[in-house]
Amino acid sequence: MALFGTGGRLIPKTPMRPPSDRDMIDEEVALATLKEAEAKAGVLLAEVRLEERDRRHMAVKEGEISSVISAHDRGMNVRVVMRSGTGFAGGNTVSKAEGLRLLQRAFRNAKDSRRRTEVSLSPEPSVKTSWEVHQKRPLIDVGSDEKLGYLKDLDRAVMKTKVKVRGRFYELKDYEIESFFANTEGSRIRSFLPRVVLESTNAVISKGESAQSLRSWGASGGWEKVEAWALDEVLPQEMRMLKAQLDKGRRVKAGTYDLVCGPEVAGIAAHESCGHPMEADRIIGREMSQAGRSFVSPDMIGKRIGSEYATVIDDPTLPGSYGYYAYDEEGVKARPRFLYKAGIINEFLHNRETASKLGVQSNGSSRSEFYLREPIVRMANTFVAPGDFEDDEIFGDVKDGVLMHSFTEWNIDDKRYNQKYVSREAYFIKDGEIAGPAKNCVLEITTPGFWGAIDAVSRKLDFVAAECGKGDPMQAMPVFTGGPMLRLRSVALR
Amino acid sequence: MTSLKEIAYDLVQVARDEGAKDAVAEAFDRSTRLVRFSNSEIDSTLSWVERHAHVLVAIGKRTLVTDVRDLETSKAQVRELVNRARSAPINEEYGGIASGRFKYRSGRADPAIVKLRDPAKHVHEAIRAAEAAGSDNVGGTLYVRHAVIGVASSSGAKASDENASLDLSVRAFSQPEASGHCVSVTPRLSGLRAKETGARAGELARMAKNPVQGEQGRFDVVVEPLFLGSILHSTSNMMSAMLVDIGMSMYSKKIGKKVASSRITIVDDPLMPSSSRRAFDHEGAPTRRNVIVKDGVLRTFLHNTSTAKRYRTRTTANTGPLVPTLFTIPSQPVAFHPVLEPGDWKTEEIIADTEHGLYMNNTWYTRFQNHSTGEFSTIPRDAILRIEGGEIVGAVKNVRMSDNMMNFWKSADALSKTSQEVFWWDEASPPSTLPTLRSRQMNITRSA
Repeated sequence: MALFGTGGRLIPKTPMRPPSDRDMIDEEVALATLKEAEAKAGVLLAEVRLEERDRRHMAVKEGEISSVISAHDRGMNVRVVMRSGTGFAGGNTVSKAEGLRLLQRAFRNAKDSRRRTEVSLSPEPSVKTSWEVHQKRPLIDVGSDEKLGYLKDLDRAVMKTKVKVRGRFYELKDYEIESFFANTEGSRIRSFLPRVVLESTNAVISKGESAQSLRSWGASGGWEKVEAWALDEVLPQEMRMLKAQLDKGRRVKAGTYDLVCGPEVAGIAAHESCGHPMEADRIIGREMSQAGRSFVSPDMIGKRIGSEYATVIDDPTLPGSYGYYAYDEEGVKARPRFLYKAGIINEFLHNRETASKLGVQSNGSSRSEFYLREPIVRMANTFVAPGDFEDDEIFGDVKDGVLMHSFTEWNIDDKRYNQKYVSREAYFIKDGEIAGPAKNCVLEITTPGFWGAIDAVSRKLDFVAAECGKGDPMQAMPVFTGGPMLRLRSVALR
Repeated sequence: MTSLKEIAYDLVQVARDEGAKDAVAEAFDRSTRLVRFSNSEIDSTLSWVERHAHVLVAIGKRTLVTDVRDLETSKAQVRELVNRARSAPINEEYGGIASGRFKYRSGRADPAIVKLRDPAKHVHEAIRAAEAAGSDNVGGTLYVRHAVIGVASSSGAKASDENASLDLSVRAFSQPEASGHCVSVTPRLSGLRAKETGARAGELARMAKNPVQGEQGRFDVVVEPLFLGSILHSTSNMMSAMLVDIGMSMYSKKIGKKVASSRITIVDDPLMPSSSRRAFDHEGAPTRRNVIVKDGVLRTFLHNTSTAKRYRTRTTANTGPLVPTLFTIPSQPVAFHPVLEPGDWKTEEIIADTEHGLYMNNTWYTRFQNHSTGEFSTIPRDAILRIEGGEIVGAVKNVRMSDNMMNFWKSADALSKTSQEVFWWDEASPPSTLPTLRSRQMNITRSA
């Protein structure tokens, strides 16, 4: 997929002067609510978020239109932070009266928490700005006929391969989120974020066996992003590849091998065994019941977790990325976070509460799925930093190994220490050369085992779009995962 | 105030007047309160309300669906929807909506839940019980839910329904790697077992102390209802005709075939008292008890009207949400309340009868290498207890079940006589009612 696309960009604007054609949000609702909040005793911070969202969702199954859905949504929330706890209230009505009702409810919720340990927040500068992601061809201007035609064309391209493919279920979801955030510290941030994601479900059948392919492509930006994916070429290639894996693949004999991970595998490892365990809310236990805890403890900053080649970055500011944002949901400016740096545990992902608890500043990691969900610590675009090896140099030094280019089954335990990846596309490597497909190769490894085995990292980065699940209620969050090729020495495969 | 049933009916009439041949409207008024706690104290209390309507209109096979989030302007939005449907592309998958002279068994919400003022006191009760049982760190959630729903369609549906529920999830730790998890899920306040839930989570955490590295190999696994809820989540999804259609099910071409041991009977029962009780599906068809697997034999897929037409059968009234949720795809029939029929064992008897096994409290991250063949793995979490010679002899950690889902169900040979309603996050979901189960000789793996 296209890397570091140019469609998403931060556009500084005159504060609070949004584009006239999207001037739908009534900021006065938020400001009137905050005025009332300022009068309440004991409130450390109150925030109001107003949100409008237009969304479209269509699907084509085996060449036929399966569904067409569209909706316009608007709503708001109020979050109140007191020393006794945090209260949140949201609803899908926007008015001054609703703002006051939500404020009362959030205030009561915060008081009801009755914490023994007082809540505090890291001090952050107030911000007055607006930002948006530019679209060369706005998603809303592309009609449903064209979008459905695009999905049908993908189906035709897959059919032309003559590979037997079941399912062929293609979903296209696109939406624009316009929001206004304000807090009692004076922040006022308006934003406009268009996103598009395409998900494909295919099952290739050959010689009595089958292989599944569940993939997604996503971006912030306009229709030009979809066109750049070139899926009419990518999906047929995927089907031919899966057929070759089925027809010619051999099982890997269990043993110790050098392993080259493709960018998709590097990305899932970066997300699951670096990004998640480095979320400070897990580390301090706030996600302990559902999404889980972390093998990382607060005192592990500066400790070694991997080799010098293990640098993992989470960067919300990648232009055009699926996980793009300029300011987080607490109004903190987004920036790249170096989570593992040359194999050292370097920086956790923080919101204002976790940052205060661990004595640092927030690094802008607070996100929420939509206005009815509380913001919590989340990843954005998490990837292994590129190195200086060429791809052929990575292979060239491997005598007996496996290239795991992509994965199908994967999972990791709730402390983020034991992970498993099963290949979707893999090849044997003999004396530095690709030597035929390897079928269903399994890597089951610990987190330090993975990051400690890396001895080479290639130059070229690639990304995959995904929805990350966390929180309670579960919040799906658009992210990129990615990386270059990684070479791991002497790991157990089967 | 106009009832949601009348709002839905009015929207259907507007759609019909505007020229829609078929129309379904489902109006919702939902309120949720949530108390989140960790490190043995409450972090935050949240509440949110949603009042909206899902509307499907069809002109011939030209269909459109929307989520009307502003009911004040709903009629205008439906008129616009019908006008857009005239030029919408043809949906070849569309097979109509359920029709008939429907009778409904609508529910009533427990007023004690609707009026519940201080959910936090139940949280504190659970935390205290967990600590008394051996835990030093407790986290979880308590949800208080209330939903009123009205439905109407152009083919005879017109009904309302109401449900309220509490679900308490308690995870207790006695050491950083020793935990227990227990839930209490109920449609009645009197059914909430806060103290017992906390105590059981704490007890499991105590039993899970000092875990040793687990071993690879074949083990008989005895899994609690919470664990089984996650497994049934994946399994019941694959019983949806839509998932079969797109190659994401191991049940393709398996109707009438053996898919589980003869001890396994799986029913979807939306009408039993439960936290997910509902009187109608999302097309407005009255729900009913559907036997999906009987004595190990697959009897039916879950259907809506469109999938039923393609499969030349009748809808099972399992139409899923018209606007897909996080974990459903458009037009997917869904199970509303899966039930695994209990067996005749006491849980202690199952353990005593197990020579070499693992007792597992909970699991997560069940992922498939291939849905159509069933190869999967899942990661047990919380108490994993080693059984040797019919006795629990200690705790283990860092293991994974890597096997085949069809094999898991075919290898089940003992089910407890007691069942529990479980619902946990989006793993053990939807709410289901399940016994404890033993499955023989499952493959256990671990990191090298």
